[in-house]
Amino acid sequence: MTMKNIKKLSAAVCLCIIVFLSVSLTSFAQSEMPRLVDGADLIAESSENVLLAKLDEISERQKVDVVIVTTDSLDGKTAEAYADDFFDYNGYGFGENYDGILLLVSMENRDWHISTCGYGIKAFTDAGIKYISGKFLPSLSDGDYYDAFNTFAGLCDEFITQAKTGKPYDVGNLPKEPYNALLSLVIAVVAGFAVAAIVTGMMKKQLKSVKSQYAADSYVLKGSMVINDSKDIFLYTQRSRREKVKDDDSGGSGGSSTHTSSSGRTHGGDGGKF
Amino acid sequence: MTSPIEYKCPSCGGGITFDSSQQRMKCPYCGKLFDIQTLEDFNSQLSNELGDDMNWENSAGSEWTEEETDGLKSYVCKSCGGEIVSDENTAATSCPFCGNPVVMSDKFSGSLKPDLIIPFKLNKEDAKKALNKHYMNKKLLPKVFKSKNHIDEVKGVYVPFWLFDSGAYANIRYKASKVRTWSDSKYEYTETSFFSCFRSGSLRFENVPVDGSSKMPDDLMESIEPFNMSDAVGFNTAYLSGYLADKYDVDETQSIGRANKRIKKSVESAFEDSVIGYTTVNPESSNVRLSESRVKYALYPVWILNTTYKKKKYTFAMNGQTGKIVGDLPLDKAAYNRWFWLLTAFSGAAAYLATYLIWLWLL
Repeated sequence: MTMKNIKKLSAAVCLCIIVFLSVSLTSFAQSEMPRLVDGADLIAESSENVLLAKLDEISERQKVDVVIVTTDSLDGKTAEAYADDFFDYNGYGFGENYDGILLLVSMENRDWHISTCGYGIKAFTDAGIKYISGKFLPSLSDGDYYDAFNTFAGLCDEFITQAKTGKPYDVGNLPKEPYNALLSLVIAVVAGFAVAAIVTGMMKKQLKSVKSQYAADSYVLKGSMVINDSKDIFLYTQRSRREKVKDDDSGGSGGSSTHTSSSGRTHGGDGGKF
Repeated sequence: MTSPIEYKCPSCGGGITFDSSQQRMKCPYCGKLFDIQTLEDFNSQLSNELGDDMNWENSAGSEWTEEETDGLKSYVCKSCGGEIVSDENTAATSCPFCGNPVVMSDKFSGSLKPDLIIPFKLNKEDAKKALNKHYMNKKLLPKVFKSKNHIDEVKGVYVPFWLFDSGAYANIRYKASKVRTWSDSKYEYTETSFFSCFRSGSLRFENVPVDGSSKMPDDLMESIEPFNMSDAVGFNTAYLSGYLADKYDVDETQSIGRANKRIKKSVESAFEDSVIGYTTVNPESSNVRLSESRVKYALYPVWILNTTYKKKKYTFAMNGQTGKIVGDLPLDKAAYNRWFWLLTAFSGAAAYLATYLIWLWLL
């Protein structure tokens, strides 16, 4: 065997190993469950397929599982435990850290919960989850489940993309609200009237110059003031206290809070009622 | 047996009683507690209070001599009733107050001879220049008013003033407070301590002027103050040459009220300046007594111009000594509306752009 052949062979072996590894890693991340499990049957079949395709596309592209689960019963668990367990025991999550995010909607007591894992914890901070839930909750409460889930999926995509720049959306760094043209117009009109009123008010004031004197200060004989008696006595004290206004931005430091699920994995997330 | 002293609550004025459980004086109405010493001090402050005494000794003006009145002419305006005086070499043709023709009355008569006069320092040219300047840079002044301003008709008039000299003795009680704030983890605390501050002392006023002519609006005359008394000289009819003089028709007793009011305000604020170290200071009671008071009758130099615009009378006055000029001007309603809507449109558009730029860069 020549040196040339040895080189070729080892190159081929290396390639084989790389291909094998990548295939096994990919299959490792694959779950037997679909990324949309509509247990409570909240959305129509046709919409379901569209939504599933969207979730699959985002998940594969971002290498972070984005999962939506609906259920009629939490089986006696808390929403948090149900969401964590559903994620852990159904094999969701990419890579060795099980990167992913799961939205659980339970119709039992109208609970919703977002559970994050692995890279999902980093990409979806507490402030970020608050922001996302603020966006989809109105639709969820109204019963527009497809809209709510679609919004959720879109925002997840956006948040993961942002996190990959190294600066995940967090306190002080949340996505921009769209430009509110109507509100801006109202502000502009009010500001316009205010400026006009102030400026024309000043112009009007230029026309006025007649004013009675208030006192006779300019006729005080300089140095004529004598104080004969001066006494200050303390009378009483009034004390009042006011409860401090709680800062709404209590999580001002940002980041994600985490807990450990029944499987021993670390999860982040938040939830509530809708 | 001595009758018990009744103490009043310094906070609400209610009758106060001794609270045996607290061993202090307690107000049954507002619940505040006081030491007896505090209430005694407060009562002694209250007993210092006397009523205002603002009477004046009156000795203003003097009688004219025959020689003096011989050289003077008196005019009466048939339209507004104004009476003006000039020397025999100055002919008055129109009334400085209303612009209508005046007629000479038979003989100069009555009223007092002024004690003092401040001669004119600024001439008619100065007055015209000042008036032109007064019209300048006023965007809402009607253009027509500027062009038809009758500036040539500005007249130099000696306006009668009563001058009040007096020492003012004051007993003033102020209620003052100090505010202290601090906070712990749960609450923000505000502590307000109240004090009663008594001041007694004196202050002297000289030459507080009150307009003695009913034809001259008081606010207009107060607006061109102050006149500088260092230029005042003893009255002599020679100063009237070339000018008109107004005779007083509001006497000194009618004018005292205005002088007293201004003096009292100045006394209160002067003593208030000595109440220091507090967050708020408000006078609660003040008594001002005047003594060694004197009234003088003086003529002050004023350039005046009366014009009518759209059936409304506008009067301008310039201090003939310092050049200070005042006079309210008419408003051009059309110009006002134009400016208002243009400004609204432009600043509104600018604000709209600003909100967009803020959204673009800052949010």
